[in-house]
Amino acid sequence: MTKRSKGAKTRNVKPEGTLEDLNVNPCKMCMPLGSVTAAYGVEGCMSILHGSQGCATYIRRHMATHYNEPIDVASSALTEQGTVYGGEANLHKGIDNLIKLYNPHVINISTTCLAETIGEDVPSMIFRWYESHPKSNTLLVSTPSPGYGGSQYEGYFSFLRSLVTTVPMDPSLAAAHQLNVICGPISPADTRFLKQMIKSFGIHAVMLPDVSSSLDQGRLSVYNRTPEGGTKLTAIRSMAGSDLTIELGEFVPKAMSPGQYLQDRYGVRCQRMNAPIALRDIDAFIKILEEFSGRKISASVAQERARYLDAMIDSHKYNSEGRACIFGDPDFCYGITRLCLENGIVPVVVAAGSACPEFKKHIQPQIDDLAQRFLVDNFDVVQAADFGDIERLAKKNGANVLIGSSDGRRVEATCAIPLIRCTFPIHDQIGGQRVRTMGYSGSLMLLDRITNALLLRKTSGFRAAIRNEFYDNTLLSQAHLHRQTQSEQLVAEAQACLDDAASDYTATREQQKHSEAVQKTKSHPCFTAGCSSKNARIHLPVAPKCNISCNYCVRRFDCPNESRPGVTSQVLTPKQAFEYWKDARKRIPNLTTVGIAGPGDALANWDKTIETINLIHKTDPQSVFCLSTNGLLLPRYADKIAAAGVTHVTVTMNAIDPIIGAQIYEHVNLDGNTYIGQAAAGILLSNQIAGICMLVQAGVIVKVNTVLIEGVNDSHVEEVTKKAAELGASVSNIMQMIPVKGSVFGGKAQVPQKKLACIRKTCRAYLPQMGHCQQCRADAVGTLYEDLSHLFLDKKAPHTQTSHHQAYRMAVASKSGLMVDEHFGHAQQLAIFESNGTSVRFVENRNLDTYCKGSDACLKEQSKDVRMQRVVSLLADCDALLCLRAGTEPMRMLADAGIEVRLTCDRIETAVLDAEQSLVSKGIIPVLSRMQSI
Amino acid sequence: MTRTIAAHTGKATSLMAVPMLDERKKSISCGGGSGHSIACGKESTAGAMSQRACVFCGARVVLNPITDAFHIIHGPIGCSSYTWDIRGSLTSGNDLFRHSFCTDMNDMDVVFGGEKKLARAIDQAVSTHHPKVIFVYATCIAGVIGDDVESVCKAAEQRHQIRCIPVQAPGFSGHKAQGYRLAGDAIMALIGTRPFPRAKAHGINILGDFNLAGEQWIVKNYLKSLGIDVVTGITGDSNCAELMQAPQAQLNVVQCAGSMIALARRMEADLNIPYIKVSFYGIEDTSTSLVHIAQALGNPDIVDRTKRFCQFQINQLKPIVKRYKSQLSGKKAAIFVGGGFKAISLIKQFRELGIQTVMVGTQTGSAEDYDVIRSLVHDDCVVLDDATATELEKFMTERGADILVGGVKERPLAYKLGVAFCDHNHERKHPLAGYVGVRNFAEEINASINSPVWAYV
Repeated sequence: MTKRSKGAKTRNVKPEGTLEDLNVNPCKMCMPLGSVTAAYGVEGCMSILHGSQGCATYIRRHMATHYNEPIDVASSALTEQGTVYGGEANLHKGIDNLIKLYNPHVINISTTCLAETIGEDVPSMIFRWYESHPKSNTLLVSTPSPGYGGSQYEGYFSFLRSLVTTVPMDPSLAAAHQLNVICGPISPADTRFLKQMIKSFGIHAVMLPDVSSSLDQGRLSVYNRTPEGGTKLTAIRSMAGSDLTIELGEFVPKAMSPGQYLQDRYGVRCQRMNAPIALRDIDAFIKILEEFSGRKISASVAQERARYLDAMIDSHKYNSEGRACIFGDPDFCYGITRLCLENGIVPVVVAAGSACPEFKKHIQPQIDDLAQRFLVDNFDVVQAADFGDIERLAKKNGANVLIGSSDGRRVEATCAIPLIRCTFPIHDQIGGQRVRTMGYSGSLMLLDRITNALLLRKTSGFRAAIRNEFYDNTLLSQAHLHRQTQSEQLVAEAQACLDDAASDYTATREQQKHSEAVQKTKSHPCFTAGCSSKNARIHLPVAPKCNISCNYCVRRFDCPNESRPGVTSQVLTPKQAFEYWKDARKRIPNLTTVGIAGPGDALANWDKTIETINLIHKTDPQSVFCLSTNGLLLPRYADKIAAAGVTHVTVTMNAIDPIIGAQIYEHVNLDGNTYIGQAAAGILLSNQIAGICMLVQAGVIVKVNTVLIEGVNDSHVEEVTKKAAELGASVSNIMQMIPVKGSVFGGKAQVPQKKLACIRKTCRAYLPQMGHCQQCRADAVGTLYEDLSHLFLDKKAPHTQTSHHQAYRMAVASKSGLMVDEHFGHAQQLAIFESNGTSVRFVENRNLDTYCKGSDACLKEQSKDVRMQRVVSLLADCDALLCLRAGTEPMRMLADAGIEVRLTCDRIETAVLDAEQSLVSKGIIPVLSRMQSI
Repeated sequence: MTRTIAAHTGKATSLMAVPMLDERKKSISCGGGSGHSIACGKESTAGAMSQRACVFCGARVVLNPITDAFHIIHGPIGCSSYTWDIRGSLTSGNDLFRHSFCTDMNDMDVVFGGEKKLARAIDQAVSTHHPKVIFVYATCIAGVIGDDVESVCKAAEQRHQIRCIPVQAPGFSGHKAQGYRLAGDAIMALIGTRPFPRAKAHGINILGDFNLAGEQWIVKNYLKSLGIDVVTGITGDSNCAELMQAPQAQLNVVQCAGSMIALARRMEADLNIPYIKVSFYGIEDTSTSLVHIAQALGNPDIVDRTKRFCQFQINQLKPIVKRYKSQLSGKKAAIFVGGGFKAISLIKQFRELGIQTVMVGTQTGSAEDYDVIRSLVHDDCVVLDDATATELEKFMTERGADILVGGVKERPLAYKLGVAFCDHNHERKHPLAGYVGVRNFAEEINASINSPVWAYV
C-alpha cells in the first residue's frame, strides 16, 4: 500500500526516479471535450462551456483538425470578475446569445475546472434561467465535467447520463420492439456502419449518440451552422419504452452509464457488450441482433465474415511478427487488443490514457495465451499512462507497430515504429472522421493497414538486415573485397601495358594533349599556386545529384552564408550556367577556368555536365575546364571527359583502405544498388584507382583531394598520397574537414592547422601540395581569395551617397516600424529619418513622454504644455513630423516651432519622400543646413 | 504568359440568416472614413462563439520555443493536451521543449492543494533532465485554489541552484495579449537587468520570431550574409545560454510587435538596448526592414551591401510574383488572425499580389491597429475585433471572399462555404517569412484559389 492511495491510481506505471509527478506528453484529453463530442450526436444540440474562453477555443481546434468540420462550442467567457463573484450573469447571457445565433433545441452546459472549483451551481442557474424565460422550449442539460475529474472518456458518458436523466422520458413514444444502442466515442463512419447493420435486421433502434453526419457533413450549396443529423429528442424520450439497451463499452463507470440508468429507472434491460471489432465481438453483436429481431444474418454479411476469415488466414504469418503497442481510451484499446489477439499480433503494450482501475484485470489474462504460444515473455497493460510511459514500454518490449491516435507520432519518429492512426485525435493526416474499425469489413480494413505496415517494415529492411548479418561483417566480404581490388589493379596494369604497345599515332596525340594540359595548368588557379590571386575561376552549380554519402557532408542548395564544397545558393540548368558564365566573363577579364564542382558529383549528373562543357567549349576553346568527382563513375566516363576537352579533374580520395573508407562513407549508390560499409568503400576505391589511371592515360591532369578527418584517416593520408602519386596524379590537396552541423561528423573537431602543415610536408615527398585551397562553394566565382558570387549576381547596384548637409530630417510616428501608422499622441518613441531626394535613411529612435495620457491627465494643461515643449526641443533638428493623426493643439505648437506636421498612412520611405517634395516646393531649406550655416 | 482561369465557383450560402448581437455591433465597422471606430480590447461576449484563446496560451506560445527549457504546466490535463507541441517551432539543438509536462492535477490536488506535487515534479525534472531553466505555468485552477507557485519556484531555485520562473497565467485573467506580457516578464526574469557596457555591445537580438518552419534561420542567414551578427532570437530556436547573452546586443529588432513590444521596452529601459520594429513578411517589408537594421547599426558599408542584397533578391522574385499575380489579380481575401500587425502585413502582401481585402478580423488588435487597417482597406471592407464564428460566416459570404487566411480552427468553415484557405498560424509547414516566404505565400494562395475542385462543387 502506498502512502497516497488515491495518488497511486495515477502513478502505477512510473518507475522510481523518473518524472513520477509529471504527466509527460498526455495520452488523454479533458472531460469537456468528451462531453462536447457526445453532444454533437444529438440533433439540434449545442454546447456551452462554463469557464474561461480558452477552453472552448482549444477544444474547437482539437476537434476541427480531426473531423475537418467547423466545430462551434460556446463559452460563458468567465473573467476575473466572474471568477470572484460567480458567473451566473455570464452563463445566462451566453445561453441567450447562443439561442439568438444558433437556435438549438438542446443546450449542453458543460462545466470546466474553473466553474467546478469556484463552486458554480449550474442546476440552480438553469432553474433561474427558465424562470426568466418561461416560454422557452430549449432543453438545458447540465453536465458536470471538471477537467481534473477524469478524461474525455468520462466526459463523454457524463453528458449522455445527464441527457437521459434530464430529458422528460415518455415510454409511450417508443415503437414496438424497440432497441436502444448506446455507443462510446467512435468515428462517424463506424456509426454509419452500425446503423446500417442494425437496420439490415429490420430492427427499430434508437442510437445514442449519433455523430454519423453531424461530424462528417457532406458538401451542400447551403451551409447550415447547426449541423444536420444526430439522435432526435423524441427518439431519446422514447428510450424508456424500449425492450433492450445495448451499451457498447466495456469500461463505462456505472454511475455514468445511461443504460444502467434506463434499467434502474425504467426497467429497460441493459446488456453491456464490447464494440463489434474483430471476429468474436462482431459475432456476439450479430447474435444479439439475430435474437432480438428473430432474423438470420443476411447472405452478404455472411460473405463478409467468410472473407474476413479468409484474410485472417492469408495474413497470419505476416501478423505473427507483429508486436503491437496499443494506446487510447479504454474501450478502443480493448477492441484493438482483441483484434490483434485473434490474428496473432502480440499486444506487448496496451496503454489507456485515462485512469481505469479495471483495465489491467480485464486485458492481461487475455494476452497471456498468445504470449505463451509465441514465447513472448514481456508485455505490459497499463492505465493512466502518458506517452513517456508508452515510449519506454514500447522500446522495452520491442513493439514494431503502434496503433492509436496521431499523438503517438513522437514515439513513431523517435523509435522508428510505424503508427496506424485510427482513433481520435488524428491531426497530421486526413480522414479521421472516416476511420473504420467495426464490423467484418471495417475490422478487415484496419487489419490490412496493420499487416501492410508490418510487411513494409519487413520488405524495406530485410535486404540490408540479412546482408549486414551474413555478409558485411564477415570474412566473406573482406575476402571478396581484396580480390576485387586486386583484380582492378591487374586490369589497370594490363591496360597500361597495352597502351604502351599502342600505335605511335595515339602516343603522339596523347603527348600533345598532355602538353596542352600542362600549359593550361599554369593558368589554373587551383593547380598552380602562383596564379591563384590573378586568375579567376567560375564554379557552375549544374550537378545537384550525388551518388555517395560522405559522413562529413550535408548538401544544401540555399545557403548563401556557407562557404564550403557542396554548398550553392541555386542549381542552374546547363543553359542558365552558360548565360551565367558569359555574363561573368564580361566582367571578370581574368576568368580563365570553368569548373563543375557539384554541388553533388559532376559525373552523377553527366548529361548536365557534358552539355555545359560543350556549350562553353564552343564559344571559348581557350577556357580551362575542370571538374571534380568522387571517382565512382570515372571508369565509365574517363575517356569521354578527355574527349570533351576537360584538362583537369579533381578526385576526392579519402582512403585506400576499405576499412577506413567504411568509416567515411555512409553509402554508395551504383546503378540502382545501394552499398554500405566496407563493400561501399571497396567499390568506390577500386573505381577511383581505375579511373585515375584512365585519366592519366588520356593526358588529363589529376588532382587528388583528401579530406583530413581527425581520428579517422589522419594517419592514413600519407598512404593515400603515395597511392595517388603511383597512379599518376599531379597534385595533392589535403584539406581539413569542415564540421557541418547535421552531418555524421558534425560534432568532430577539425585537425589543427599545425598538424595539417606537418602532414602536407610529409606528403610533399610524393606529390606537390596545394596549400592554397580555400574549399570553395559549388557556385564560387572570382579568385580563390574573394568569392564574388553573392555581389556579382547583382547587376545594377543602386549606390547613392547621402550628402548629409543637404538632408531633410523627419520624425515619424510608427508602430510597425515600416509604416506611418501611429497617432502622435500615443507614440512612445519617434523614428528619425533623413532624405536627400532619392534615398531615405533611418537615423535613430527617440523616446518621448507620450503626449496623450488619457482624459484625467488632459485636465492638467500645464504638464501637457511642458511635455509638448520637450517634444519640440527633441525635434529641433527635424523639418517635419509624419504621423497617422495628431491633435490640433500639438499640431499648432509644432507648426509654430517650424515643424510641418503631415498626416498620412503610407510606407515610411514613401511618406518621407512625399514630405520632402512638399518642403522643397515650398522653398524650405533643411534645418540641418540652416544650423550648419549658422 | 497570362492564362485565364475559370472563375472560382462553388460558394455556399447560409441556410439560416445571421443575426447580429447588440453587444458586438460596436466591434464591427468598415474601411475608410465611413463607419465608427472599433471597440476592442474588451472581454469576449459570452455565447457569441469568440475565436480567442486564453492568457496561458499567450504565455505558452511565446516561451515554448526556448529549446532547452523545461516547461511545466501546473494545472489539469486539458491545458497540456491542447498546447502540446502547438507551435511548430524548429530547433537546431535540444528538443526538450517539444514535450508537454503537466502536473495533471486531479480532484485530490484541487481539494488539498497542488504545491507539494509541483515541488516534487520540479525535483524530478532536475534530477532526470538537469535543465538550466524551468518555467512553471500556473493555469486557472492553480490560481483559484491558492497554490503559492511563486514560493514553490523560489524554494526550488535555492534548492537546486537553477532558474525556476513562475508564469502566473490563469486563463480567465485577460486574453492572449496579457499572456504575451507575462512571457516577456519571464524572459526578463531570466536574462536579468544588469546592463552590458554599450561600448562593447555587438550584434542584434531578434524579438518576436518563433522559428515557425525555420523562419528565424532564414532571417539570420540574410543578416549573416550582410555581416550582421545575431546574439539570440527571442524566442525562436533559442536556448538558455544564448538568452542570457541577450544584454550584449547593440540593438533589438522586434518582429510581431504585438507579442514582444513590451519586452523590447523593458530591455530598453533596463538594459539600454534600443529597438526598432521590423517585419519579414512581404517583399517590401522584408527589404525595408533589412535596410533599417543596417542603418540603425550605422555601418555605411553594410547599408550599401544590404541595399544591393535586397535589390538582387527583389529582381529574382519579381518575375515569379508577376506570374502568380496574373492568376490572382482581382480576387478577394478575408483575413482573420491573432494580432493587428499580422493583419496589416497580410493586407499589404495581398496588395502585392493584386488581391483586394474584403474582411479583416483579429483576436487582439488595438484601436490603433484598426485605425491603420481601416485606412489601408477599401470602404466596403468589413473590419471586426474578436470576430465570432457566425460573423466570419456572414461576412465571408456577403463580401464574396475567395480566400480566408486564418488558423486551422477556421479552415473547415471556409471550406464549407466554398472559400479557399491559407494557414498563417503555428501549424504551417513551410516558411512564409523573407523572400522565400513571398514565393511560398503566393504559391499557397494560388494552389487553393485556383484549385480545380471549386469547379465541381
